[in-house]
Amino acid sequence: MPDAAKRTSPDPMNFDKATLLYSLPWDADWVSAVSFVGPKHLAAGNNRGEILIWDLSAPPDKTPEPPPEKNKPASNASSADKSEKPLHAALPPVRQCVGHSNVINRLLAVENRWLLSASNDHTLRYWDLAAAPGEPAKLILNARTIEDIARNKSSGRKSPPPLEVTVKTQPSARTIQGHEWIVGLSLSQDQSTLITGDDAGNVILYDRATGTEKKRWQVKGWAYAVALSPDLQQACVSERYPLVFDSGRHNAVKLWNATTGTVQHDLSKEFKDLQIAAAAYSADGKTLALGRGGEADGTGGKIFLLDPATGKKQRELTPGHLNGLTDLCFHPDGKHLATSGRDTVVRLWNLADGKLVKELGKPRGGQFKDWIHALSISPDGTRLATADMAGFVHVWQFDA
Amino acid sequence: MNGHCPGHEHLSRRALLKGALATTAGVAVANWGGLFNSQTIAAEAQKRGKRCILLWMNGGASQIDTFDMKPGRSTAGPFREIKTALPGYRICEYLPKMAQQVGKLGIIRSMRTQSPDHPDGIYHMHTCYKQSERTPHPELGAMIAKYLGQADADLPSFVRMGPTGNAGSGYLGPRYEPFSIDRNGKLPYFTSPYLPAANEERRNDLLRAIEAEHKKANGADAYESHRVAKERAWRLLRAKSLFDTSKDWPAHEALYGATDFGRGCFLARKLVAAGVPFVEVGQDNYDSHADNFVCHKANMQVLDPAWSGLLIDLERTGQLQDTLVVWMGEVGRTPTINNRAGRDHFIRGWTIVLAGGGIKGGVVYGSTDADGREVAENPVSEGDLFATIYTALGVNPREKHYVGTRPVWATPEGSKPIKALLS
Repeated sequence: MPDAAKRTSPDPMNFDKATLLYSLPWDADWVSAVSFVGPKHLAAGNNRGEILIWDLSAPPDKTPEPPPEKNKPASNASSADKSEKPLHAALPPVRQCVGHSNVINRLLAVENRWLLSASNDHTLRYWDLAAAPGEPAKLILNARTIEDIARNKSSGRKSPPPLEVTVKTQPSARTIQGHEWIVGLSLSQDQSTLITGDDAGNVILYDRATGTEKKRWQVKGWAYAVALSPDLQQACVSERYPLVFDSGRHNAVKLWNATTGTVQHDLSKEFKDLQIAAAAYSADGKTLALGRGGEADGTGGKIFLLDPATGKKQRELTPGHLNGLTDLCFHPDGKHLATSGRDTVVRLWNLADGKLVKELGKPRGGQFKDWIHALSISPDGTRLATADMAGFVHVWQFDA
Repeated sequence: MNGHCPGHEHLSRRALLKGALATTAGVAVANWGGLFNSQTIAAEAQKRGKRCILLWMNGGASQIDTFDMKPGRSTAGPFREIKTALPGYRICEYLPKMAQQVGKLGIIRSMRTQSPDHPDGIYHMHTCYKQSERTPHPELGAMIAKYLGQADADLPSFVRMGPTGNAGSGYLGPRYEPFSIDRNGKLPYFTSPYLPAANEERRNDLLRAIEAEHKKANGADAYESHRVAKERAWRLLRAKSLFDTSKDWPAHEALYGATDFGRGCFLARKLVAAGVPFVEVGQDNYDSHADNFVCHKANMQVLDPAWSGLLIDLERTGQLQDTLVVWMGEVGRTPTINNRAGRDHFIRGWTIVLAGGGIKGGVVYGSTDADGREVAENPVSEGDLFATIYTALGVNPREKHYVGTRPVWATPEGSKPIKALLS
């Protein structure tokens, strides 16, 4: 545990005693996005465009997890085993959202009922979890592991039994067609407005309830991280264009007037050559958090706290995530920030003093070992979920 | 990714003189001029006016993300297929313009090569010989310069731009060394005379007179190589305007795309039209061990208009039938996506594309297995590829040269041209 954590003053939420509740297996492809939907449900998306829903209100099975396979070499599928042992056996998913055909980049929830998803298939989709489910479908949650073992017979690994489950499928309630990979998706504090950013440089504001477009503008590069201020007046948009040599690498971070689509503060000089992978406004609108992504050198996956009114940097949180940050979000208590990275850990930071409060998970060995792609905190702040590229969704419990 | 700009990309005074030397007829360069025996097919090939443009994908482009897609497989990645002009054949969605040019392409999906890393792969794919051999083999460009270059041309016969080869002219000697320039065609400051043209000419005449007097007085031309090289450099500088694309680039920018690489492709088209037999244009950087898909998506958006624009422009100007366009890098990329969202080097089954002069268009040759992990049919070696290229250009792939007394062939023994691709 970092020294910083020992110095942290007592909080209503005891992060120090965080417990790994579940490691939900799903190795069809990399788990790329995650979001709580209300107090009961958890949603996750993967690189294939699949979305699964788990019902966390089901009573946990306290049966311990089976021991790891003998003679099993280090691999994606085994990585989570090394980090932590979950308290409970994995829950089966209950529902599958069917419709996307490519990577799920972002998931977010609205009104404890709606799930919204942004994908490389150029669409933004709405899913109504209150809707009656459709036809059942069978899934094997460890299909990739079984396939890999079957292909690499010389590895000597024994194939595990298939984790077969039956889920109810459901189609999307609404589909909004875009032009390119929709990489950025964020929701305003009052849940009235969505903002998306895509690889064609389009930044679009939507009325969340109706899905109608309210405003759009174009940025020079590929719009990457997007966020909307609680008063709906300002949007933060980071840009990337990863050509290293031909026409020059383009990275930018700008704060835009969300009403007029004009630049308020161009932060690109201050964040020169930094690819900002995640951005979020605090609930009171006084702090904007930015995280450096890409495959940053060393611990270059830094977190920056800014004053959105001036665009001035207030604080830098260190140490940064090894090899780059992937996601960040504010805790509902308004006092903490959670970040995830390519170093396979989640960090919880105290916003008041910038100190590291808690680190969840363990680094699995540097740049060649998986990422935590995304994270989500439950509305009541008691749980945190992560999308683990190794083929898991992890759920952590904080004691109040 | 390799972020270093190699020294050979930069034009020096020495390189300028080498470029001049490369076009010099009859210059006996010490230790090289008498070593090779080369006259057989060159004259015939020269008469045909064959040319070659090599589009070099530095770092190694991914075959699965371009021309050998594996939809629905675990190796597929996030790119989707689109239809091409060739029924039943699909390529990456980020090559939409090239999809319309497939009828001009000979696509080899079954390259199985031997050198898995960058320096050895770059050498091997430029020479068709392993870097570890003691013989310094010449690059494709040097060989083409030798057999298809015009001895009395003002222009160099082997021009390259951007990140390219690392072998040079090898045993063919400095006459065929590459002439390296920027992709915008801009030549360095010292190629602009600082004297008025008339003064410059008088000065050159004075040097000629002094050297002639020296030759007369001493009965020998001790400085012949240097003198002839200077004469060639002066002639090259008179043709300097050809490299200047500032006036005609705006009219072509939409076709090729407003990028350095696109401009380099346009300059290559201009140079081959002017008689340069070999031009190589490099594109950085495909070495995507991390974030492969972002890297390839960005690179393909530069590549697609540039490459298709080049083929369209060559066709429009009546050059395509005599100009072979080669698209390749030093390696392919692994089917397996690593946990940095990257693909690593791969040599067991990857793709190279030929088009234009001597090539039958609309042909997809060879294949890989369902996941792209192995060649399924018609494996092609480096030597087979070069034999195909040389044959398409009218150069004998079994041309024999001598390094000292040792015979060395243009392609390794057993190399066979791919007949299915030759028109």
